[in-house]
Amino acid sequence: MKKLLLPVILCVLLFGFWISRDFQEIAAGVAIFLFGMLMLEDGFKQFSGGVLERVLERTTDTIAKSLGFGFVAATLMQSSSLVSVIAISFLSADLIKLIAGVGIMFGADIGTTTGAWLVAGFGLKVKISAYAMPMLAISIVLIFQRSKYVRGLGYILAGLGFLFLGIHHMKEGFDAFKDQFDLTQFAMTGAAGLVVYTLIGAIATVVMQSSHATMVLVITAMAAGQVSYENAIALVIGANIGTTITAIIAALPATYQGRRLALAHVIFKVVTAVVCLLLINQLVTAVDWISRNLGIGEEDYALKLAVFHTMFNVIGVSIMVPPIQHLIRFLERAIPAPEVDVTKPLYLSRAVESFPATMEVAMRKEVEHLQDNAIALIAHGLNLSRQEIYATDDVAATVEQSTRPMNVDIDEEYERRVKTLYSAIVDFASRAGALNLPRDVTDHIYELRDAAQSSVHAVKAVKHMRGNATEFTRTPQGKITEIYNALRTEIARILVEIQKIGLAEPEMRSTLWLEEERVQIERDRKNTTRVIDSMIRNKEVAPDAATSFMTDSGYAYEAMSDLIDAAQAYYAETDEAMAEIEHILSLEEDEIEGLLIEVSEKDVAR
Amino acid sequence: MALKATIEKLDTYRKRLKQKKAKPISRKKAERIVAKLDAKHDALKAELKAAKKPSKQERLKAKLEVVEELQARAAWLVKQIEKQDD
Repeated sequence: MKKLLLPVILCVLLFGFWISRDFQEIAAGVAIFLFGMLMLEDGFKQFSGGVLERVLERTTDTIAKSLGFGFVAATLMQSSSLVSVIAISFLSADLIKLIAGVGIMFGADIGTTTGAWLVAGFGLKVKISAYAMPMLAISIVLIFQRSKYVRGLGYILAGLGFLFLGIHHMKEGFDAFKDQFDLTQFAMTGAAGLVVYTLIGAIATVVMQSSHATMVLVITAMAAGQVSYENAIALVIGANIGTTITAIIAALPATYQGRRLALAHVIFKVVTAVVCLLLINQLVTAVDWISRNLGIGEEDYALKLAVFHTMFNVIGVSIMVPPIQHLIRFLERAIPAPEVDVTKPLYLSRAVESFPATMEVAMRKEVEHLQDNAIALIAHGLNLSRQEIYATDDVAATVEQSTRPMNVDIDEEYERRVKTLYSAIVDFASRAGALNLPRDVTDHIYELRDAAQSSVHAVKAVKHMRGNATEFTRTPQGKITEIYNALRTEIARILVEIQKIGLAEPEMRSTLWLEEERVQIERDRKNTTRVIDSMIRNKEVAPDAATSFMTDSGYAYEAMSDLIDAAQAYYAETDEAMAEIEHILSLEEDEIEGLLIEVSEKDVAR
Repeated sequence: MALKATIEKLDTYRKRLKQKKAKPISRKKAERIVAKLDAKHDALKAELKAAKKPSKQERLKAKLEVVEELQARAAWLVKQIEKQDD
């Protein structure tokens, strides 16, 4: 079906160009208009990565606020599709709740109708191309500037310029067309007319991927007398149904939440369309009444159509908002959340790649997911239960009692639960690097990727030592068991500290809290070397066991340092100034060395 | 308190700030870090008070020394920012 669509569209266009020059002008007008919308979209994307996301996060905590946000955003951007894509992207990254996403989408449906008012009230009455040309000329100067915000402004101005130019060409085309053909002879009355023109409106919107473009086409065609008012109303209803396709396409690569949002949009439009088709006569009377009160002329059908378009969406919101909790429950039942598969990436979907803030949040969540899997595997690899070591007052005693080997194939689990996630994280970071994201966002994404790498290294190190750690601690074997248990205890303590910082309020925690663990690791490393030297000298451990221990202690300290590095990167301040202070105050390797000497000198003096 | 590396990092930061490659750090933000370190210090003190095993007490004391070192550095940094603001 999808494969057939392109050749069919091209054939229709070529046939149209062949039979009519005016059709060429109308088609070019639509193309310029759609191009303008794309530029407008690009312009607004230049501003994302900060303002847009922050506003969205703060203004969607109630249904009224989310409706308001959707309305304002779609009015400014002149595209409900772009707002839908943002909502799906934010839902996929878990930044907003489903009810907020639904509210945004409904609000956007009303907001986008302001475009029809602009075209009907301004575009048809003023020589709109007179504004388009200077806008395009100024925009190109702005687009070549270095500042991305100025560039964004340039794209927005160019987008508006092309929108105006597109409207102008559509208008010219239809005016000329009027003299050769009279499309009103195909006008249909009654129920058949409603159904047929509703279908035409829906198909036109699916093809153009924009209800806004269909609306403009209908208004200009009607202004030129090519479509009857009654059929134009049916076309508007069809355009409203057709627009759900954009949300469905955006939801295809999204998470289940994005698909729920697309379904909500389809329900909204179809229910409203059915209600409007059933009450069409009453609605036409209502449009006439509203138009009279707004001072719109009896014959000004273009503005009346804009009134109907807004009314259609206001009716939809009025029908859908009161039972919204039922709608949310229905969506949750219709598209259930998939079983959480910890072996697969949970957050790095293509849908989050539309906006920088969602990319960073999704990356952070995925790295946390990887870190959680890695820590579970490290604990199990050392035959420890995370719950037990987190709950105990005496980590050493708990470790000593954990003698039963856990039934875990660490190589297989590494492949399943760590490597697959790490590959997805690396791939995502590379894609992010190729995008034109703000520098701080790219830096944060790379730091998170490095945190994931450190977690992976820690798991690999524990993988190497698991065999001996299990062998020498399953039954008491004297000194060698003691020193292996000491190593397991040190790793367990690091896991406990990472859990503590994870549980602390983000506002109150600091990665500097882990500096003392770095000093402790260095202190333990030196002690271990001293202890093993003394044991070898006193023949308290067999030489082969001592050799194994020396190799494994290397792996253990590597794992501990990697775990701390990963946690410091993951829990690093997101505020750049605060992160800068933490960096200035953090301890360098030689400073740790100095601190250890200072402490041991104090001990000697005591 | 050895501050050589910290001073070097502060100098590097100031150079980057001049080149507009870093965000300015305010006294208020440095004081927030001091508060976070104070909170950790208090938590460790409470843990030390409750600890019974000598080995655990020893470990906690060692950790406290590191946090105190960081607190001293943070206080020094606050003064540096004050001087700069003056």
